[in-house]
Amino acid sequence: MHPDDRERYFRPTPGFVVIAACGWRGFLLATVWFCLGDSSVLQSSPPDYRRDIKPILEKRCYSCHGRLKQKADLRLDAGFLVLKGGKDGPAAIPGDSRASKLIQRITASDEAERMPTEGKPLSSEQITLIRDWIDAGAKFPTDEIPPSSPAEHWAFQPLRRPSIPRVKDAEWCRNGVDRFILARLEARGWKPAPDASRPAWIRRAYLDLVGLPPSPEAVDAFVGSNRGREEILNQLLADPRYGERWARHWLDLVRYADSNGYERDAAKPFVWRYRDYVVNALNSDKGFDRFVIEQIAGDELTDRSAETVIATGVLRLGQWDDEPADPAADRYDQLDDVVSTTSQVFLGLTLGCARCHDHKFEPLSTRDYYSMVAVFNPLKRPQNGRTELVLPAGSFAELEAVQRRDREIERLKLAKNDPQVTELRQATPDLPMGYFLQEPSSKPPETRVLLRGNPLRPGDKVVPAVPAIAARRQPDFPEPASGTSRRRLGLAQWIVQPDNPLTARVLVNRVWQQHFGIGLVRTPSDFGLMGEPPTHPELLDWLADWFIHEGSWSLKKLHRLILSSRSWEMSRQANSEYIAADPENRLLSFAPYRRLEVEAIRDSILSVSGQLNQEMSGPSMFPTIPAAALEANTDKDTIWKASGASASSRRTLYAFIKRGLVVPLLEVMDLSDTVQSCARRLNTTVAPQALTLFNGEFVNQQAAYLAQRLRREAGPDPVRQIHLGYRLALGRPAHPSELTALRAFLQQESAANGRRDGDPDFAALVQLSRVLFNLNEFVYPE
Amino acid sequence: MKMHRFIPNPTPCGRTRREFLWQAGGGFAGLALIDLLTQSGVFAGRALAADASLTSPTAPKTPHFRAKAKRAVFLFMNGGPSQVDTFDPKPALTQWHGKPYGGDAKVGSNGRAIGHLMRSPFEFRRHGQSGLEISSLFPHTARFADDLCVIRSMHTDTAAHASGCLQMNSGSVFIGKPALGAWLSYGLGTSNQNLPSFVVMTDPRGGPIGSASNWSAGYMPAAYQGTLFRSAGVPLLELATPSGTTDQSQRHSLDLLRQLNEEHLATRAHESELAARIESYELAFRMQTDALDVVDLSRESAATREMYGLNDKLTADFGRKCLITRRLLERGVRTIQLYSGGGHIEDTWDGHNDCIQNHKLHAGETDRPIAALMTDLKRLGMWDETLLIWGGEFGRTPTSEGVDKPGRDHDWHGFSMWLAGAGVRGGQAIGATDEFGFRAVDEPVHVSDLHATILHLMGLDHHRLTYFHSGLNQRLTGVVEQSVVTKALA
Repeated sequence: MHPDDRERYFRPTPGFVVIAACGWRGFLLATVWFCLGDSSVLQSSPPDYRRDIKPILEKRCYSCHGRLKQKADLRLDAGFLVLKGGKDGPAAIPGDSRASKLIQRITASDEAERMPTEGKPLSSEQITLIRDWIDAGAKFPTDEIPPSSPAEHWAFQPLRRPSIPRVKDAEWCRNGVDRFILARLEARGWKPAPDASRPAWIRRAYLDLVGLPPSPEAVDAFVGSNRGREEILNQLLADPRYGERWARHWLDLVRYADSNGYERDAAKPFVWRYRDYVVNALNSDKGFDRFVIEQIAGDELTDRSAETVIATGVLRLGQWDDEPADPAADRYDQLDDVVSTTSQVFLGLTLGCARCHDHKFEPLSTRDYYSMVAVFNPLKRPQNGRTELVLPAGSFAELEAVQRRDREIERLKLAKNDPQVTELRQATPDLPMGYFLQEPSSKPPETRVLLRGNPLRPGDKVVPAVPAIAARRQPDFPEPASGTSRRRLGLAQWIVQPDNPLTARVLVNRVWQQHFGIGLVRTPSDFGLMGEPPTHPELLDWLADWFIHEGSWSLKKLHRLILSSRSWEMSRQANSEYIAADPENRLLSFAPYRRLEVEAIRDSILSVSGQLNQEMSGPSMFPTIPAAALEANTDKDTIWKASGASASSRRTLYAFIKRGLVVPLLEVMDLSDTVQSCARRLNTTVAPQALTLFNGEFVNQQAAYLAQRLRREAGPDPVRQIHLGYRLALGRPAHPSELTALRAFLQQESAANGRRDGDPDFAALVQLSRVLFNLNEFVYPE
Repeated sequence: MKMHRFIPNPTPCGRTRREFLWQAGGGFAGLALIDLLTQSGVFAGRALAADASLTSPTAPKTPHFRAKAKRAVFLFMNGGPSQVDTFDPKPALTQWHGKPYGGDAKVGSNGRAIGHLMRSPFEFRRHGQSGLEISSLFPHTARFADDLCVIRSMHTDTAAHASGCLQMNSGSVFIGKPALGAWLSYGLGTSNQNLPSFVVMTDPRGGPIGSASNWSAGYMPAAYQGTLFRSAGVPLLELATPSGTTDQSQRHSLDLLRQLNEEHLATRAHESELAARIESYELAFRMQTDALDVVDLSRESAATREMYGLNDKLTADFGRKCLITRRLLERGVRTIQLYSGGGHIEDTWDGHNDCIQNHKLHAGETDRPIAALMTDLKRLGMWDETLLIWGGEFGRTPTSEGVDKPGRDHDWHGFSMWLAGAGVRGGQAIGATDEFGFRAVDEPVHVSDLHATILHLMGLDHHRLTYFHSGLNQRLTGVVEQSVVTKALA
């Protein structure tokens, strides 16, 4: 039996099991099942184990006597285990509740004896149920199997490469990905959806990889030729706009923002250099292993450079309170931000929940948590009171050279603009300033477990360690050197060890999610017991193993593999029979629709209107915020100084993310959480989005620019204008019925506006352009 | 359906499945799109129509237990009103006026100068049958003394405005947590499909520090967040037809959009997201009418306008907001939060320099409109369904800030708030601060206890109202055990 299947069958609680394994439909069925169960039981019958007893035990006893912990060697998470008991003998003796330890302990009048130790005692109804159940013989279903040990959880198993399954229709498949997908469909007797059309495919590829629509010329060149898809993919992966598009996915994960939040919500100086680092790393296809190491420990590398030091800015991206009420608690809040983010992003573990107590649902202890705190504890924030400081980024040799230069300038006692000074400065230029934390010494501070997370209640001392459940054995942390503890280097190296069971699985799943809209594991930052098991466990493992060994951690190779698959090329045409049987499309019988993220929507609008400013990198820009949206701010007149038209027409990636004041257009269109790691954008459909995209100033301005462009490039003929508008916005000409509707609309609008001053034809074209930006097909690409 | 309550956030495992609810349902303005679509036959014959799980995130939900309060109004006195000048009389301050404070309470915030004990210049008198003591700052509110449940023993964890406002609004000093109003939207939904379920109106001088993070939905879907409502002009962002577009063009364009989108949908009938998006444009258009109607006070009588203080410059702004509040309550909006004071220091209740003039101003602006709102709610039979909450993020020190200066600094160890309306036992003061009013000593009530009490009054058990996020069942009241202030309950 595959570990994944074991997961399905051995979940601890009936209601929850069915939900996890079968999804919504299963949940509803489970509900029905419970109801039937209720009505079919006679009033006088004894309590039913599954219906009456197990839920009580699960709620009040399992956390100490279950899968994660077995205090007094006792487990209560299966009927036979209740009878078997623990150190003190059986917990229940069938037919004799008075002699049963379970009853004795839950009814004890001595508080030290009474179970459960936490919370209120069991109610008298609950006690009666358990008592009656025991007296009636303590019956339980014989097929009940207790949940497996957390160590057997699929995500903690070593990565092994599964063999590629056989399929009937081998013709359909282009690569290994397809075989895994098709095998599952064929097992049901299903067929994959037909291929997407060539125009649909190229638009999809552009929006997916670079986040912008293809030009009409690019579509024509592809559609009208036999040009291979491979060629388009290579071209897009080599396009620097790829880095801009995919950097945003990473920034979501690492809670990127340009300001600190809290009362003053000050800008984080030079934080954009970290954003640029991510763009460049993706464009240069830096190995993901190296990408991880640089961000966690770029300052501890022997080949450290300005780039690797700036990469560690990720550890300083959290909120920061410049005037904390409780500085000790604040220090641990900052560490928590780093530990929680790191463990979610790289390992898919919700370690943050183990700050105050052992994790209730996962095999993660407070010791695991504080051992990770020990890794980051040597880091300090450069600051002068409430003011944050930034430091030059570079190798040690570069930093020393600049210091030597400055000493020399000081020694010469020359004026600032003296030619000799200029020459010295040119010979040894300043290093870029960066926004990162720093270890002031190689002697790390002591770290202790905090009881109940309270800094005033230190417990045992801990040393740096990784979560025990995820490591066969603890890695060797290197000795301190070159001014740092090198603890982070130890952690980073362990994360990217090929035998780490989590890292590659988590990463390939994130990439899959961006390409298909939903991951193979649908809880992308939670691979623990409470996360969802993968829909295609073998495919996930195969991809992860491929990524490490054949892909050599190259994201571009991984993209190419996935995007050149037949699976990714499937159209969005769903078979109604399949949907009825698989409403969530877990088997991937078609490519699901999904709305573009707000960045891709806004960038596409700018691109189509011809206004997109393609300038890359550098400080962030400030898009216009409607005055009405500034009213609710303390400093409503000064809080936001919008950039000019040209700067604010840069890609949305470069928009300043102010934690206390998110640009309404971005917020209403489901921008990521700006405070915590966001593994997947929410996707809401609400009326304010319609108001924003239909009435908002941005879209109406861009509609006017598009109208000008249509006139300029298509001339005065409405038919040509309409076709060009469609080709720009949707990558295809208008269908005949659309053309008829749009021509009628232009005539009607021109006539209606004719009574007013100005240019009625143009006004009509602006209206038409606005409609184009609001089409479902514009934001839900084929 | 029996299990309906659990659908919004049933289990850690089920959570991603619910995403479809958000995708399809959306939720601003209690938008029950799927219900709406089903009613209008959009889903007829489609596979998804039968799925009972497809309800809006803000569709009305049954509370955990029966409760009187259906709706809540939070009158937020931004900046921190002084307890010893409002609802917590301290004769000892008169006796020791001008003397240095020798007690052990930590005085003052952020290194500000500590002055001497300072008496209140406002006379306290007993009001109503209960004899509740209220200062002369609130002659109008004092008429409702028998309805007020003053909690004199409030305390909070922070001395700073930003974190204090966040804590009072969301139970946490960190941004990114859902506000009380968001929890109420999540737990109870809303009955009006064309207006937001949680409305916020700020002061014309500016918002509270931290602005929108005070009414955010945090980690929950944006459908639950507070929506800023302006009391004049166009009440909602981007509600107005863009300048240069006639109403006729607007309608033509919407019709064209609908036509093209429906043609697109025709061959993609199973895609409820696409159908929902089409409907969201129609709803947006309808909201223009409904929201504008709320702020149109032209049909309110002259007597009503006078009662709310609309004819007096001092009270006109807050009066207008209180009147709009009543109109929103009448239309079924679940939670409304009004801010008195905005911007910095003396533009809010933050009386560092001259607490006396400061409080005269801010109490003067709000006292009469609040009393008018109470009068109106009683007149309209809405009193028994509406919960009123009055207070700020903390209180102020019984000492002056610096010597010979009538300012007061922040005091987070003890302050006063009041509850009134549905389910509240009025005419009483709960708890007490010490002799001078520094610190809550009898029956202290933490902000999170207050939250537990408010949820209870709204029919929600703060233990059971949870939302799974980041590996944890999150609660408004956090992980530390909190308790409902049972004395406050009728």
